[in-house]
Amino acid sequence: MLEIEDLHVEVDGKPILKGINLEVNAGEVHAIMGPNGSGKSTLAHVLAGRDGYEVTRGRVIYKGQDLLDMAPEARAAEGVFLGFQYPVAIPGVSNVYFLKAALNAIRKHRGEDPLDAIDFMKLSKEKAALVQLPDELTKRSVNDGFSGGEKKRNEIFQMAVLEPSLAVLDETDSGLDIDALKVVADGVNAFRSPDRALLIITHYQRLLDHIVPDVVHVLIDGKIVRTGDKDLAIHLEAEGYAEVRDAVLP
Amino acid sequence: MTQELQTLLDSLPSSFDTGPQWLRSLRGRAADVLQERGLPNKKTEAWRFTPVRSVVDTEFSHADVGAPKLAAPAPEGVTVRSLRQVLDQEPALLEGRLGESESEHFAALNTALFTEGLWIHVAAGVVVEEPLQLVHSLPRAPGPGVSYPRVLVTAETGSEATLIETYAGEAAEQLTNSVVEVELGRNAKLDHVRIHENAGLQVGRVDVRQDADSSYRSIVVTLGGALLRFDVRVLLQGQGAECQLNGAYLVDGNDHVDHHTLVEHQAPRCRSDQTYRGIASGHGTAVFDGIVVVHRGAQKTEAHQENRNLLLSETATVHTKPHLEIDADDVVCSHGATVGSLDKNQLFYLRARAIPKELARAMLTYAFIERVVDEVGHEPTRDRLQEAVLDRIPEGQTIREVT
Repeated sequence: MLEIEDLHVEVDGKPILKGINLEVNAGEVHAIMGPNGSGKSTLAHVLAGRDGYEVTRGRVIYKGQDLLDMAPEARAAEGVFLGFQYPVAIPGVSNVYFLKAALNAIRKHRGEDPLDAIDFMKLSKEKAALVQLPDELTKRSVNDGFSGGEKKRNEIFQMAVLEPSLAVLDETDSGLDIDALKVVADGVNAFRSPDRALLIITHYQRLLDHIVPDVVHVLIDGKIVRTGDKDLAIHLEAEGYAEVRDAVLP
Repeated sequence: MTQELQTLLDSLPSSFDTGPQWLRSLRGRAADVLQERGLPNKKTEAWRFTPVRSVVDTEFSHADVGAPKLAAPAPEGVTVRSLRQVLDQEPALLEGRLGESESEHFAALNTALFTEGLWIHVAAGVVVEEPLQLVHSLPRAPGPGVSYPRVLVTAETGSEATLIETYAGEAAEQLTNSVVEVELGRNAKLDHVRIHENAGLQVGRVDVRQDADSSYRSIVVTLGGALLRFDVRVLLQGQGAECQLNGAYLVDGNDHVDHHTLVEHQAPRCRSDQTYRGIASGHGTAVFDGIVVVHRGAQKTEAHQENRNLLLSETATVHTKPHLEIDADDVVCSHGATVGSLDKNQLFYLRARAIPKELARAMLTYAFIERVVDEVGHEPTRDRLQEAVLDRIPEGQTIREVT
């Protein structure tokens, strides 16, 4: 589903990603772990198409298409979803209105009829219940006045409604208490299916107790330095990143 | 207008022969102010950003548009009378009510020259549910024409009402020089919605005087305008009075709109709150100038003032100047102004959810201004304004397509 080949990315002339290679197949859950500043969020933003990142080498193929050539909205319409680390508040734009516009943009892209208000509300209620997002929050302005945990639940709620093929979750666990973490993880697990893939970006292993990955990669200084199974994450949690860094970097 | 003004002023004394003595001296004082100060020019501080020459240099003919009309018969407890009629028949009723706020420049011109207008009187204790809707006709002279609408609103003790005023039209070289005076008795409440829509040349002023514990809530929506200058001045004269002045303005093309507010806290424990939001695109210019004055002795004053602007093109201009003059020590005051473009993080967030760029921009632009319009309580008016705003923001039609 996703092939990243020798991806080099600079921000303001400074190299951040220095040759990423990664292949994610449908049905798989990959975790990318790494210390702060290793380039994890840069990777997530480049995949979603944010401005300000210069790809200097390499390519990203998503479902056979050149992903880097597509506008952010085209990527989303094709089924790429970014769960933001810091979801922005948008005062004046209601959550449900925004999400209905998003869903219908995706449906339009697929050649489907737009969902009407009643069907959308039904869907929205069902998915909000999944992540225990209070009904009142779905009607408020997007993320406006939401707590950290509510913002993250709102991201997973959106993912559940939009049903992407590839979800990139950027530090979805940060700022969550244990109970909220469990709720969010349950939402993500419900999303797993043989025709979807997940890329989970995290600093800590604790989210991976609940969402068990098929493959774990360690990203340090812009490169994937080690790849393994879920036990690698447990090892990292016990030993810290320093041990891996010392082993691979001069 | 300068030459015309001189001719007018020379002929004024004879036209002042009619009417009660207090009115004649009121008009005389206004004429004196005009003789002394003339009309504003670039050097007049309060008119610094207003391209007033286009008005001052044009010779307008006086176009009598009659009294503004109420959209529906006045409800029980509300009396609506022609100013001309009251001044003819019972002038004493208006003494001490009409022209009580000192005025200069255009407002003085209105005071000197108005021939007709309305007096809206809400009796004590009367609560009016349905809004009073006032539609102003613009002059339709063959050449440049000017009209001088005059409205006095008296809300007696404990009354509650909503007034919705609309100034609309297409006439490019027609000038409307309006003055609306509002007097609120103790505990009276007035919601005042004022809409300027394609309103040609507009110089308008609202003067509010508030007694104790009264509440005045103003929402001004300005949808473009070749040249629009709107001043609202509120005198908080009784303890515990409060006012809320909100505004939304949109400029495009070569529009110039200029909103000024002045709130004077003259009594203790009053509260004022102002939020003006504007969107400037094309070659449009928008000005906001707001002053809050806290007089000596007006302790426990709470005053907030905010002006936010969205600049959508490099050729549009925004001037913003909120300021406070405080002469009391036990007060809570704040003011702030911003001029910026659409938030990149918000835009990306929407696009990352498959929302096309044009729609994302329109959604954020609409949201920026809609929160002011959303405060309009009367649903048909609010709906109409929301549609009018959509018509005016770039790619606004894309929003209609998704709802």
